Amino acid sequence: MGVIKRNKWPLITILIIIAALMFVIAVGFTIGFLSENPDGLERVLIDYYGEEWLENLFSPWVPFLSWLSNDYVAGIVGIILSIAVLTGTFYLIARLKKKKVTQSGLI
Amino acid sequence: MHIPDGLLDPITTIVLWIITIATMIFGYFRMGKMFEKEDSEKFVPYIGVLAAIIFAFQFVNYPVPGGTSGHLVGGTLVAIILGPWASVIVLFLILVIQSLFGDGGITVLGANAFNMGIIGGIVGFYLVMLFVRLLNKTKMKKEYKLTIATAIGSYIAIVLASFICGIEIAISGTIPFEIAVPAMVFWHTLIGIGEGIISALIVFYIYKTKPEFITTESMLKVK
Repeated sequence: MGVIKRNKWPLITILIIIAALMFVIAVGFTIGFLSENPDGLERVLIDYYGEEWLENLFSPWVPFLSWLSNDYVAGIVGIILSIAVLTGTFYLIARLKKKKVTQSGLI
Repeated sequence: MHIPDGLLDPITTIVLWIITIATMIFGYFRMGKMFEKEDSEKFVPYIGVLAAIIFAFQFVNYPVPGGTSGHLVGGTLVAIILGPWASVIVLFLILVIQSLFGDGGITVLGANAFNMGIIGGIVGFYLVMLFVRLLNKTKMKKEYKLTIATAIGSYIAIVLASFICGIEIAISGTIPFEIAVPAMVFWHTLIGIGEGIISALIVFYIYKTKPEFITTESMLKVK
């Protein structure tokens, strides 16, 4: 609880920004301003080999979340995963770095 | 610019993995002092938000003339906010998540992190630093100097990353050099405009409202 209380405003900010991002993605897909066209690298590959070649490239694995065909759902899941993974990793980095500084007697 | 699996040859793939991992390990030790401060944990939720923003913006494909599309890469943007070394780790982790959706390959994560994190992040950051130094000679307001430097730096970083990506594809023997490199650079000179504008607007907004979140301000020496 203490952690939540200490980080009340960052957490509120996160929630507001996530809501805004989801809104942008939802509106983008609904009114169709988001482009389905290939990006720069895909365009170069398609121009040289064709679309079928690109789709049949060998991959040693099937992406775990490729079954999520709905772009909106994939966007939400991705945003949540990004926050969880990045927050967790940098929390660990901050803890490790602080521990190192404390052990060396700098704090 | 997400390279899919099967596009690069094994040697190029392995070399880029080694460079990326070495840079991330080096980056961990070089990462700014912000993580050693007593209240450093307060930055962590904001890093999560930044990750969400980058992920969402990479998801949003804006149309580019000529039947292609572009999206934010965000390497330079993250580097300006969190520092060049942290940006490689942030971009790598975002690319890992994206690869779970099939956006970019898993075997070529090293190459994608090299292009978007190291070229887009570290090189982009030092380009911004260079442009800030040049703009410091003018009487412009600080926020405009940083915004303009971000726009130019992130634009050049994306074009440079596409150039490197073209070389990687050519070295792997997928497409001849004389086709891969000019084509990649041509499309990204258009796509990069969006990168420059979005990065500059975000940096401008943060610098105006919460300048302390631009943790590299002292490094960039904006006067």
